[in-house]
Amino acid sequence: MTQPTAPTATAPSSGTGAVARRASSFLATRPRLRLGLLLSAPLTWLVLVYVVALAALLVTALWSVDAFTGEIDRGLTLDNLREVATESLYRTVTLRTLGVAALVTVIDVAIALPIAFYMAKVASPRARRLLVVAVLTPLWASYLVKAFAWRSLLSEGGLVDWVLNPFGAHSPGYGLTAVVMTQAYIWLPYVILPIFAGMERVPDSLLEAAGDLGASAGTTVRTVVMPLLLPAVVAGSIFSFSLTLGDYISVNIVGGANQMLGNLVYTNVGAANNLPLAAAIALVPIVIMLGYLAAVRRTGALDNL
Amino acid sequence: MSSTGATPAIRLTGLQKHFGDVRAVDGVDLEIADGEFFSMLGPSGSGKTTVLRLVAGFEQPTGGTVELAGRDVTGTAPFERDVNTVFQDYALFPHMSVLENVAYGLRVRGVGKAERRRRALEALATVRLDHVADRRPTQLSGGQRQRVALARAVVVRPRVLLLDEPLGALDLKLREQMQVELKQLQRDLGITFVFVTHDQEEALTLSDRVAVFNEGRIVQLGSPREVYERPVDAYVASFVGTSNLFDAEVARAVLGRDGRYALRPEKIHLAAEPDAGATTPEHDRVRGVVAETIYLGIGRRVVVDTEHGARLVVLEPSTAPAAVERGDHVVASWRHADLVTLA
Repeated sequence: MTQPTAPTATAPSSGTGAVARRASSFLATRPRLRLGLLLSAPLTWLVLVYVVALAALLVTALWSVDAFTGEIDRGLTLDNLREVATESLYRTVTLRTLGVAALVTVIDVAIALPIAFYMAKVASPRARRLLVVAVLTPLWASYLVKAFAWRSLLSEGGLVDWVLNPFGAHSPGYGLTAVVMTQAYIWLPYVILPIFAGMERVPDSLLEAAGDLGASAGTTVRTVVMPLLLPAVVAGSIFSFSLTLGDYISVNIVGGANQMLGNLVYTNVGAANNLPLAAAIALVPIVIMLGYLAAVRRTGALDNL
Repeated sequence: MSSTGATPAIRLTGLQKHFGDVRAVDGVDLEIADGEFFSMLGPSGSGKTTVLRLVAGFEQPTGGTVELAGRDVTGTAPFERDVNTVFQDYALFPHMSVLENVAYGLRVRGVGKAERRRRALEALATVRLDHVADRRPTQLSGGQRQRVALARAVVVRPRVLLLDEPLGALDLKLREQMQVELKQLQRDLGITFVFVTHDQEEALTLSDRVAVFNEGRIVQLGSPREVYERPVDAYVASFVGTSNLFDAEVARAVLGRDGRYALRPEKIHLAAEPDAGATTPEHDRVRGVVAETIYLGIGRRVVVDTEHGARLVVLEPSTAPAAVERGDHVVASWRHADLVTLA
């Protein structure tokens, strides 16, 4: 008989090893406990940071500010919500913000679709890697730097003017057009990436099958590519739409005298010292996004996710 | 089935396709007759699928021409060609019902709604799937998806149906059943089938003619019987079925002749040493020792080490009288006529 050279599975091992082993065998037979331990950290995070913060916002919107002392009165009132819902100032700014967000989203999707298609279906693997890097690179630069870069581009005598002047045109200057251009530029990567990922998931053979069955390129895009890509387009549009809804920095930098919802929140928190009203205004984009998601859900675009 | 006078359904002339330095298709000349069941057989990377994609129009050739029914279609898009493809992964549209999938070819041709529903249901009925018309492709089994893909391709009545390893993803039983259905469908529709496969048995059982591919070229073209019984070279002999190959050295030792030969395992007769087996002058004989026997159900595979050192694989039918065992001294014999001379 020869001695066994390798330790067998039942051999006793060192102290910590034994504890770890006992713990893992304890967990192995209790899938619910295992799941609970796994999810407890992210769930705590989600509840604390997300749900509680949102609830705090809602509660704050129901408070009011004493006009003389500037102290916050924690008695519940619907005055702020009523003011935001009825005052024409808020309606105008909300519509303006919605319009800018919608325009930015349409522009971004229109630019992202061909780029994503080229990246996913046409480019060589090497070119695809380079393009992904190129799309991501602007995200390394600070938001402020990018917004100020557009400010200088659009300034009187800036690059845009210099390029357009020979054709008799001018830079749009600072205003809503500039806000749309800047926002469309800043959020573009967030729209390209989900559409690119969605396009990559569409097998080439589906496109070939459509052509094979007699569909021209345009018909293939309309009947096969777009329906399959809709969830990805929706995902991308949620990014550009919601991020634009909440933005106030680029409006300050390139928007001239125009205000968006974010600016109203900012002034009410700061200069006006009315946190409850700011909270009530901040609820507007949230309600708009909920409405947008409900509408999207209704179209069934998310069923195939 | 070769075309004499009549215009072939497909004519390939000097067809070439290079991907960078790789010559995927390297000069293929081929005529496929109307109504023929034609198989392209070869290992992966032999160029057979690329030829199919060149015929469908998914790839453009580096050189040469593709003619469909006498018309040169080189350079035209897939939707301008009267051929349809059944894809290896079926390529069913996941966002459409089974019926919408089958009706797609009619829809893009502008066929009216009622008419395309009727014809799609008819096509589904020919593959016995009209009862799942309203389901999504993801709710079907592999075999059902396969049949939906077939129905979708034939509903537009193409002249030629291209099938790219359509049975590759199915299990054995289903595959055998689908082979029968494919053959029936082809006979009923009377259209040309071009079938790409790496499964030699599939190619032999289904086809009127087989082209064996290797490294982008057709190495042998003929009926399944010709390809199996008379392989032109060692590659075909070993890829299509199993063969005992005699290279020049072994041929001289065993057969006392020059040249290279192939011999099918089922053509060899084994006899226990004392009764020396058939001794007519038209037989070759060689002594050996049984190295291994493997039970196959329909028979036994017997491996014999011959006295000259070469190994022979013999297929003994289950009806063979006295089964030899491992270690037995035996005499292997075969008719001269069964020996295939290789190039």
